[in-house]
Amino acid sequence: MGMTTGAGGRPLPLVGQGEASWLTTKLDFVVNWARRNSLWPMPFGTACCAIEMMATAASRYDLARFGMERMSFSPRQADLLICAGRVTYKMAPVLRRIWDQMPQPKWAISMGACASSGGVFDVYSMVQGIDTIIPVDVYVPGCPPRPEGLIYGILLLHEKIKGESVFDRELHRQLRAEDPDAVGKPNLPEEVIQQITGPFGNSTKQNRVSGLVSTGALARPGDRLS
Amino acid sequence: MTMSKDFESAVEGLAQGAAGSDAAAAGARTGPAADAASHASVPGLRARFGDAILHHEIVAGDEHVVYVQPEKIVEILGWLRDEPSERYDYLKDVTAVDYGGGRPLQVVYELWSIPYRRGLRVKAELPLDALEIDSVTPLWHAANWLEREVYDMFGIRFRGHPDLRRILMPDTYAEGHPLRKDFPLRGRFSRAEQTRRALSLGLEDVYFPEELEIGGVGYRPAGSASDGKGPGATEGGAA
Repeated sequence: MGMTTGAGGRPLPLVGQGEASWLTTKLDFVVNWARRNSLWPMPFGTACCAIEMMATAASRYDLARFGMERMSFSPRQADLLICAGRVTYKMAPVLRRIWDQMPQPKWAISMGACASSGGVFDVYSMVQGIDTIIPVDVYVPGCPPRPEGLIYGILLLHEKIKGESVFDRELHRQLRAEDPDAVGKPNLPEEVIQQITGPFGNSTKQNRVSGLVSTGALARPGDRLS
Repeated sequence: MTMSKDFESAVEGLAQGAAGSDAAAAGARTGPAADAASHASVPGLRARFGDAILHHEIVAGDEHVVYVQPEKIVEILGWLRDEPSERYDYLKDVTAVDYGGGRPLQVVYELWSIPYRRGLRVKAELPLDALEIDSVTPLWHAANWLEREVYDMFGIRFRGHPDLRRILMPDTYAEGHPLRKDFPLRGRFSRAEQTRRALSLGLEDVYFPEELEIGGVGYRPAGSASDGKGPGATEGGAA
């Protein structure tokens, strides 16, 4: 950014090292206002959550009130990925590719228990939370969440966008960098995936029944409760 | 409580896993032999095949199950399909059951006779060390994908199947056959490894090259050299 001249020939910083200037905050306000009020969602509906998402988009709940005039069925014209439903490992590369195809700036909502954590499907074929595949901004709990829940998640995302700054390059670099090396790769390091996907609740008992723990032959050191 | 005791013993049986195959294991055939005359097809089967018909029982009220020798499966099912008095022309399903505890795997054929409005379930038991049975695709084309699914999920090989490869899991899936009782619920690899493998899957791991061909243009994996003039582009330019 350049400099301009103030009263008495004193240079006025547009982007300072200290607090944000009047111009940047106003620009952030306008840009964020435009962005959050014209989010075009890319629906990635794989299960029952998608039914609630459709209900949210239909006339009674009417997502168009929030600037989501249309569902964008092409990732190239979408700002927001709503992953509604369980994602299998076979579907994981598809989800990652759609995310990679979306242009900047982009956000993601993980809708429902299965997308956020794997839900009740703690099994061999199911992704244990899509945040191991793509970065997620808002998690909406529920099985499935009611349309009010999804709308609340979208409004939370509005709040998040409100707090962003177009000049915060670090944020964009970290969260949404178009890093060619990151395309098609897991979103989290291996240790973190292991840590957040250990068996819990009923699945520890199911491991015992299947002979995993009792024989010890197949126990994995990374599992928290094995 | 007898019920909870039954449940506990069932869980114990599961916990043992597939310990190995015992030829003398009685399998899961626990029901008393049913009166052969109670189903229209069973007397005919017994008269035609004799000892190859091992057992006949009724489950869930009115569902007739016939256990047969696996070596004779194509012969028996072919007879059931073609015999004018039977005419089981509709193969509803082919699936399999693993009861665990080293008991043999059961291949299940669900038959339905459209002319006679009659159903019959045929089962063949395979010991764990010889999971092979003849394919019934020569009798019903419907068996093609059904047998592929049984192969994918249970590891049972079908002799003479035209295209025996995995149908649900990717071709490169290396963790085994998921519906077997000795398969751990969460898979054999760590979650990190499963995620890494899933994301490195290419189209060529799920489909044949011919299946990916569109309008004469072959599929080219990402990253391979491309001059923008595939075979399809040349043909299109010439036309």
